[in-house]
Amino acid sequence: MASLKLEHVKKVYDKNVVAVHDFNLEIKDKEFIVFVGPSGCGKSTTLRMIAGLEDISGGTLTIGDRVVNDVEPKDRDIAMVFQNYALYPHITVYENMAFSLRLRKMNNEEVHRRVCQAAEILGITEYLARKPKNLSGGQRQRVAIGRAIVREPQVFLMDEPLSNLDAKLRNQMRAEIILLRKRIDTTFIYVTHDQTEAMTLGDRIVIMKDGYIQQVGTPQEVFETPRNLFVAGFIGSPQMNFLKARLVKNGGEYFAELYGVRIAMGAEKSAKLAAKGVGGQDVILGVRPEHTQLVFDGRDGTIEGTLRVNEMMGSELHLHVDLADGTSVILRIPTLDLTEEQRRGLIYGSKLRFAFPEKVTHLFDPKSEESLLF
Amino acid sequence: MTNNANVAAGQQKLRSKRGHERRINGTIYTVLVIMSIVWLVPFVFLVLQSFRSYKLEKGGMVDYLIPKTFSLDNYAFLFEGSNFFSWLGQALIVAVAVAAVTAVLIHVCGRLLDKGEGEGRGTRVALLGGSLLIGFVALVGLTMALQGFALAGSWVKALISLALFVLAGWIMARVYLKQDSKLLRSIPGYVVEDKHEGLKKFCAMFAEFGALALIAQCILAPMTMSQYVRWYGNTLTIALFTSVIQTVIVLSVSYALSRLRFKGRKLIMNVVLILGLFPGFLTMITLYFLLKQMGLTQAGAVPGLILIYCASSGMGYYISKGFFDTIPKSLDESARIDGATRFQVFLKIIMPLAKPIVIYTILMAFMAPWGDYVFASYVAFGHQDGYNVAVGLYNWVNTNDFQNYFTRFCAGGVLVAVPITALFLALQKYYVEGVTGGAVKG
Repeated sequence: MASLKLEHVKKVYDKNVVAVHDFNLEIKDKEFIVFVGPSGCGKSTTLRMIAGLEDISGGTLTIGDRVVNDVEPKDRDIAMVFQNYALYPHITVYENMAFSLRLRKMNNEEVHRRVCQAAEILGITEYLARKPKNLSGGQRQRVAIGRAIVREPQVFLMDEPLSNLDAKLRNQMRAEIILLRKRIDTTFIYVTHDQTEAMTLGDRIVIMKDGYIQQVGTPQEVFETPRNLFVAGFIGSPQMNFLKARLVKNGGEYFAELYGVRIAMGAEKSAKLAAKGVGGQDVILGVRPEHTQLVFDGRDGTIEGTLRVNEMMGSELHLHVDLADGTSVILRIPTLDLTEEQRRGLIYGSKLRFAFPEKVTHLFDPKSEESLLF
Repeated sequence: MTNNANVAAGQQKLRSKRGHERRINGTIYTVLVIMSIVWLVPFVFLVLQSFRSYKLEKGGMVDYLIPKTFSLDNYAFLFEGSNFFSWLGQALIVAVAVAAVTAVLIHVCGRLLDKGEGEGRGTRVALLGGSLLIGFVALVGLTMALQGFALAGSWVKALISLALFVLAGWIMARVYLKQDSKLLRSIPGYVVEDKHEGLKKFCAMFAEFGALALIAQCILAPMTMSQYVRWYGNTLTIALFTSVIQTVIVLSVSYALSRLRFKGRKLIMNVVLILGLFPGFLTMITLYFLLKQMGLTQAGAVPGLILIYCASSGMGYYISKGFFDTIPKSLDESARIDGATRFQVFLKIIMPLAKPIVIYTILMAFMAPWGDYVFASYVAFGHQDGYNVAVGLYNWVNTNDFQNYFTRFCAGGVLVAVPITALFLALQKYYVEGVTGGAVKG
């Protein structure tokens, strides 16, 4: 249990390749932080710097009250779960888990108590006498987590622990990690490229790209108020739709114009925009697929498109729609909202009309890619 | 009709194809059989000749392959004037007796210790200490009786042998406590994986005591040696020391080159690679003079040769480095986060996983000096006590009466092949066996 502070942390490889630029983050005690981003964004590098497996090229890293830049991994009091498990293949599961305790010359009773306890939490008691090669992927992952638990570390690091599991097991393990976190109350840092994992696990999410932090915030915050185009596109599945539009100021109110349709921004957003001093300009309008509505009654203010792909996901439909200028838009429509007849009409090439509710639209500056509403 | 004809044609084709395959296989097997005969004949010849008595059937070259009478005269000659067998027998008796007594004692200690589990730590330690002490006293008494300690007559020797057995007992007590204590057995699901574990433990114990008894024997009762036994001993000493030292150096160098990133790493690897292309014989004359200055030629040939064989061993790093490269780095990282130092990572994680390459390195390091002639002959340079087997045997058939010594030479050769064959048979399974299964997602 400890807080972490990263100040201007930097990683430079071979004198000129910068993997992480000026990373600033304060992690509170017992917080669950998730680093998320596409591959090569520097999230794993940052984690490895915290673990001590990579040198820190600049800045300071503090765990608790101690600057640990030049402290060996073994003296940092951290535990780490690796993507590929990294179990010691020549010793049993029991000895795998006891390894770190034995290195610390802990007495046998205590080792036994801790290993059994961890095994029970993870439900691997019956495999203790096996060797790793006789375990399935999910079991190995549990052992890897168990090996970290027995340490009772100050900080718990996880480097894409679920990415080697199949989809079903991954969902199950994700739920278990949430439960685990409730049982062992400590600081977690979790790296993943999967935004679902990030959203469901994290107290706060750190979204990274090309070595820069894009946004830090709770899952709710990053979902509802993405700071820039990248975050907006990265969080949420299917991806947010981006449409070129023109922002028009009419008195105290702002409107977005696109495809001959005028969408009112509403009072709250207008106030924000006015406070920023934004005038009429080109913008990128961001709309999440789930925030779209199919319109069948021919009312005003709707956009027409041609249906290209209709993905039936069970409880909802994902409609890929091409607009007049070729822009592709994805609509996510709950199946229950449609009548049987309406659903049957959604075939390749059919024309349909849809609308965006105003309160959930996002505006981005096309040049800086920053959100105009942040 | 046409259908049937087609089927018939097809079968015909198949048959001719099979015939073709059979012919090819036949040829291959014939060639292989001929080659193996060619390979085997010299060995068979050597072994057969070694049983032809040098007393009854004189002559180096005879016109028959199988000796008229089989005799062990040649082998007897090799050990003539040496008390080797009685010496070895004594050591074996000591090893057997001590191992048996220790096994019983350790079991008794273990039971006592388990019984004391509920009680305080102090009681248990006292129990253990007491029983071990009694055990050691008994052991020393036994040793003294067996060795004719009174005859050895030196307190230093007595103390050394005592220390050896105390060491052995201590090691065994640790092994016992680690593997068979109640604590471990109380783990749910913990089963003794290997039902021969007890037997294996006893064998290990016996081997350990055998080695210790041999060392004790060397100290307490020196062996008188025939020429051949001395040469054999020289070769064994050189090969054992070389294989241990060289293995340690090679493995450390390759691990460092595989895992550590330091300045000049690439440069070192390249330079060493190029240096390794020069044959070692280039330095022969220089080496001789260097050794001579240190007094490590002729009578000092054994340490001198060990020095030569170990000198450039770090240069043979390629193969083991390649092996280490295949062991996932995340194992090292995981262990380091778990609290291991670099050395502990090497010893506790990498070494057990690198068993095949460790075995390979030991074998190679053992075999090179075992069969070496060139270096051994010029470092010993005419000094008979410094010869290794190869040089000694060569001298028998070269300088002495060839006709007379030929069969004895054969017997010597057969005995040289014994340990190396045994080593190979014992270790060959590790050659192919990889043990990294299950480490990482694979």
